[in-house]
Order: sequence, then structure tokens, then C-alpha cells
Amino acid sequence: MQFNFCQYSFRPILIGLSTSLCLAGISLPVAANDDNLDRGKAVSEAKFLEAVKSSFLVNHPDEWKRFTDPTLKICNQTLDKPSIEQANAIRKLEKANITLPKDGQYMGDWQKGQMWVEGAHGGRIGFPGFVDADDPSKPNGANCYACHAVDPNFPQHGNMGPSLTNYGKLRGQSAAIQKYTYEYIFNAKAYNPCSLMPRFGSGEGHLLTAEQVADITAFLLDPKSPVNNPKVDGEVKKLSHP
Amino acid sequence: MKTRSKSASPSPKGLASTHRKAWLVFLCSTTVVTGFAQASDDAKFSAYRDALADGNPGEFWVDDGEDLFFKKAGPKNASLEKCDFGLGPGVLEGAYAQMPRYFSDTDRVESLEGRLMTCMKTLQGLDDKQIQEQYLNIHYLNAAEEDNRVSPLAQLATFVASKSSEMPFQIALDHPKEQHAYELGKKTFWHRMGAMDLSCAHCHAVPGRVLRGVELPVMTDPERAGKVMGAFPAYVNKDGNVRTQWWRNERCLLAMRLPWLKTGSEIDAALILYQVKKASESDEKIAVPGIKPRA
Ligand code: HEC
Repeated sequence: MQFNFCQYSFRPILIGLSTSLCLAGISLPVAANDDNLDRGKAVSEAKFLEAVKSSFLVNHPDEWKRFTDPTLKICNQTLDKPSIEQANAIRKLEKANITLPKDGQYMGDWQKGQMWVEGAHGGRIGFPGFVDADDPSKPNGANCYACHAVDPNFPQHGNMGPSLTNYGKLRGQSAAIQKYTYEYIFNAKAYNPCSLMPRFGSGEGHLLTAEQVADITAFLLDPKSPVNNPKVDGEVKKLSHP
Repeated sequence: MKTRSKSASPSPKGLASTHRKAWLVFLCSTTVVTGFAQASDDAKFSAYRDALADGNPGEFWVDDGEDLFFKKAGPKNASLEKCDFGLGPGVLEGAYAQMPRYFSDTDRVESLEGRLMTCMKTLQGLDDKQIQEQYLNIHYLNAAEEDNRVSPLAQLATFVASKSSEMPFQIALDHPKEQHAYELGKKTFWHRMGAMDLSCAHCHAVPGRVLRGVELPVMTDPERAGKVMGAFPAYVNKDGNVRTQWWRNERCLLAMRLPWLKTGSEIDAALILYQVKKASESDEKIAVPGIKPRA
């Protein structure tokens, strides 16, 4: 038995597109011991948060919000299968916090986008003095290769999300595609309420600015971007952002 | 490699210099085993372990941990040798195999590191601040710096854990607080949280998942959990240091963009308990110090 968390996904116009991105939703096979169904529900949310408060060190009280996000709360409670009403409420909430870059354009600079896609820097917090915490004065990356294949010349990728190679080549650059792509990166949960994909532009500790999201949108859609061009023979891109 | 280190001092710097030479020899000898083909990570790791079976620098942590364990220290000028890890004061054989467990003196479920800190308080008379300064602050340094900063808590943990080598984990969950800790561990493991909106389960409960080229171990699978958990504390070649179960969970929490998990805290013990309970459902045996190319 498989859960399909994409069942409430927003599909009317962009069927093919939405389906492929929707694979980023979770599909957890149910293990024999069914921990997936139970997920520790014997422990109440209140008890859990009490344990959290005594177990973690924060630099700032806002960091506690990382345990109490309202959308994730519904996803946790419903095992990532919100009711239609809950799903609609999540989409509405998440859609409302999507903003545009200052210039109002969905597509930014694809070359910068390439940097953000590769970069893994950003958002790691620690305790004062912990050097592996990410320096907040440096721009964050989105670490897209953790989950997606993107530029075919990049040496590594994960498989938790669908391949984005040839993304723009397959879909074109229509206004609707630009908006959808931008919004999906900015806040995937505005489309797929319990998507596995992080909300890069929204939520406590979110990683990217609106401008960066536009740059990444361009990296996926621009015909000149390596995403939409054949793999260059013999070229293995060096890791600029380990 | 059973050479005893001369230094019994808990000073990380002193230990580092004692070990540096051995590390150099070790690093040179590893070039042979770095170029594995496309085998699974599991197979790669086991080939790696075999290749280094009798050259594991983690043995230094066992030896130095032993020295530290029997060394008198703290306001009470006492050693940790009477520390009760659940099988009676001073009984080390097999104790780690049953931890985390409930302790009636503290009325808590404690991990090995948590229990060691409890004994530092009760037997040696250290207070929280002293433990923080002498044992925990070291974790705030980055990995590169930690190459010459050996954690004395990891040394102690490696020594005590090594006394359960060759034994499988035996996690009975007899006490209600152990059952609660297990459920709390399960809840934490399956709970979506942090700026990446992820749970541990997204990465460690689905077979076949790969993250940026790295195969992810399924920690809900007893066989795999047995291998993974039974290897900690493990010598991690990439870091040139020994890492504990707490450290590993903390690294993943960091990647989930969550705050810092306190060593010995309730959730620390719960997350470990959840995973070693899975491990205990297999026949895999503890093999401490483990050795890993990375962790
Ligand atoms: C984004 C995916 C991701 C999430 C979420 C995640 N981990 Fe990990 N985990 C990894 C990666 C990558 C490794 C390193 C595997 C390697 O190097 O072989 C790892 C390694 C581990 C290991 C050691 C495995 C070994 O072979 O030694 C343990 C234990 C572990 N994680 C537990 C957890 C726990 C507990 C959580 C939740 C608090 C968690 N992980 C969340 C990706 C993740």
C-alpha cells in the first residue's frame, strides 16, 4: 500500500507539469511494523513540545517556530493526507505569503540561479560559537541536487524529487509556466499541501529571497541554461559549492 | 592496534599530538581503499571496515577513555569506576547493549553519554557548568578544528561501549518511561519539522532513497539499524575523529535546520532508543569502535 499525497494537488491547467512536480510529494511505503501509520501518536503534541523545549538550545525564541509550523502540524496530524478542507486551507495560507521580486518579474538571471541551485550553504543553526552553523551574512543556496537531477553536467544528484533536466525544453516559457515554476519553488505547499519539498521563500528559517527564486526559475526555463541543453561531452562540473 | 597512549590527560591538545603520528600512518594507508566501484554504500562500508580491521584509530579512544574513566577528577576527586550503567556499579560488560534505559536514581531514561554526565555529577561532584565547559563546549567547534580536538566524552563513551562489542542490542522497554521514550523517539523520527519541512523518516524510512549522490540507510530496517547503530561510537575517517550516536543524530537535525540537540537530553535519548530498538530486532552485533569513511 502506498500513500499518494499528491491526490489533492492542483492540476487543472498544467497537467503534465503538475504531475511531474507532484512526485516530490511523499510516498512512504507502509512498513510491516506500521510505524508509518502510528508515528508516535501515543505522545501528545503538548508532551512532544515539552520534550523539545528541554532538549534543544535556541539562539533566539523564534527558532522554536521551526517545531510548530501550522501547515506541517496538519500534515503531521493527518499523516500527510489532509482532508479537502484542510488542503484548501493550507493552499490558501501558503499562496498568501508568496511575493514577487522587486522588479515584478518571475524570471531573473539564470547564471545566478545556477549558483543558488548548487549551493548548500544556508539555514543551519547551532549554538553560539558553533562554527558549522551557516554564516547568515552570506547568500543561501537551495541545494536542489540533494533531491533533483537538474543540470546534466552536475556530477551528483538525489532521487527524492523528479528530474528537472530539460525542464524548460519540455514546457516552454509561457507566462503560465513562469508563474507556476516561480510559485512552486517559492512555496510548493501552495500547490501540493503536504509536499515533500521545502518552502524556499516562506516559513520560519526559509532559505531564499524572492530574487533568488526568480534566478532559479530562469535557470530552469531559459533556453540558454545548461538545464535545457545536452550534456557537454567529457565535462564534469567541478563542485563550486561543496 | 592496541598501542596504549602515554597521555592520560584529558587535555584534548595533549592527546592530539600523541595521536597525530598514528593518524598520518593511517591516512597514508587508506589511499588503497578509497576507489570503490559502484557497489552499494553498505557493501562499500563493509569492504572499508575489513580493509582497516586491524588499523582502527578508534582504538585510541578506547584506551584514552579507559584512562579517563579510572582517573580521579572533579571536586570529589573520584573516578567514574563506580558508575552504574544499569547492571550495577562498575559493571561495564554488556551495559551499552541495553542503553538508553531507565535509571531510578534520576527517574529518567538516559543515553550512554547522558549517564556518563550523571555520574560526573554524582560521583565526581561536577556541576552543569563544569560539564559544559570541560566536555560539551568542544562540540561547538567545526569539523576541521575538531581534528585536533578530541572530545573526552566521546573517549569515555567509546571505552564503555567497547565493553559491549560482540553483543547484540537488547532493548526490552520494560519500564513505562522506556516505553514513553521509545514512543517519543518514534514521534520525533516521523515528525515533519525544521526549515526543510522534513522528518527523519523521509530520508531514513524509504528504501532506495539517494541524497545528492549518497545512499540513505533505512533506519527502520532492523538489519541496517543494527549495523549502523552498533558501529557508534565510530572512527570517521573524513573527520579524523570518533563520533557518537548523539553526534550523528545532531548532524541530521542540523541539516533539517533545527536548533541544537543537547547531549543527554530527553529527545537525544529518545531518538537513540527508537533506532537501537530497531537494531535489537536483528542479530547484528555491536562492533565498537566502528570505522566509517564518513558519517
Ligand atoms: C535530508 C535527508 C535526511 C534527513 C531528514 C535525516 N537524515 Fe540522517 N542521514 C542523511 C545522510 C545524507 C546521512 C549520511 C549517510 C552516509 O554518509 O552514509 C545520514 C546519516 C544518518 C545516520 C548514520 C548512518 C550511518 O550509516 O552511519 C543516522 C543514525 C541518521 N542519519 C539518523 C537520522 C535521524 C535520527 C534523523 C532525524 C532527526 C535524520 N537522520 C534525518 C540524511 C538525512
